[in-house]
Amino acid sequence: MKDVLKGKLVRLSAFDPEEMSKAFPRWYQKSEYFRLLNSSGQPMQSAKAALKWMEEEAGEASPANYYFSIRTLSEDKLIGELGLDVVTWPGRDAFVGLGIGEPDYWGKGYGTDIMNVLLRFAFTEVNLRRVTLSVFEYNPRAIRSYEKVGFRHEGRTRKVLNKEGRRWDILYMGILREEWLELND
Amino acid sequence: MKDLFRGELVRFTMEEPETRSKAEARWQRDSELHRLADSGPAQLNSEKTIKEWFEKQTEEGFKPERYGFSVRTLAEDKYIGFLGIWVDLIHSEAWVGLGIGERDFWSKGYGTDMMKLCMQYVFRELGLQRLSLGLHEYNPRALRSYEKCGFRLEGRTRQDLLREGRRYDSLWMGILREEWLEMQKGDGK
Repeated sequence: MKDVLKGKLVRLSAFDPEEMSKAFPRWYQKSEYFRLLNSSGQPMQSAKAALKWMEEEAGEASPANYYFSIRTLSEDKLIGELGLDVVTWPGRDAFVGLGIGEPDYWGKGYGTDIMNVLLRFAFTEVNLRRVTLSVFEYNPRAIRSYEKVGFRHEGRTRKVLNKEGRRWDILYMGILREEWLELND
Repeated sequence: MKDLFRGELVRFTMEEPETRSKAEARWQRDSELHRLADSGPAQLNSEKTIKEWFEKQTEEGFKPERYGFSVRTLAEDKYIGFLGIWVDLIHSEAWVGLGIGERDFWSKGYGTDMMKLCMQYVFRELGLQRLSLGLHEYNPRALRSYEKCGFRLEGRTRQDLLREGRRYDSLWMGILREEWLEMQKGDGK
């Protein structure tokens, strides 16, 4: 059987609160990263606060929540975070969020590779029917990457964000199991 | 839309921990009921202990893996039993267990009606792919009821039960979503 946790550039690795609580403050130091991932104006967290949150939120194993860290295959370097949360079981729909905290790995196909691995995990391991995500209008790089792996545009909440004196939309994208199978057979 | 919680003889409710523990403590004293429902030794728990279990369950709140119902008759509005569903979310499958604590309501179609409601909930509301159950060989009444509901006997663990010096098998039954849907057509529903 295929290694479902491994892609062409990256692999999904265990979410270690100790390690991630140190990485998060470093990544979120860069306000651009924070803005791409999060729409709130939440201030930065200390490593200690991050660890507390992770042990409480991400610590418990559940068939509804999957947290991974992301490592490159070539250097085994920790570069990002990934979460998959089942929203409804009767609909078997889950919401995915991913981030590459190390800017050196932006714009080089790592995100696309991560999403490909994640979708295979979602459809063949968790047996989901669809995967949903949201992305901010001011993140065209992510939008292109999601389109590339097969996500379709499904809707947008217009002018819901307010950044730099401008209003932006949140875009909603989704991919169905059948669509993914079609692309990956 | 159909009322998911109402059958022909019974309806699903959720009784308060107080009501449930009172009934449960009384039902536990019926060791025959225990043997039909459970393979462990008959045990008794105080009403207080049982109430604490139920309260803890209530506090834990909603879990997509676990659904429990109390059962009342439609005619007398009498609380007669319980039914629990345990879901394997990944494989979209569930296990069901049920019991009728009030003996006056045994062998009169109440269990079959409960199971039909359960199947409707599992397949129509939860959207699962199959429903499984286990029973003891010495419970032919349950076997007939489950067969009537459309369950198929899928296997048995030979002689794993020992009751009063005799060995009995555990029986395993299941019904697939397609099989249930097929039966609904036959009902003209």
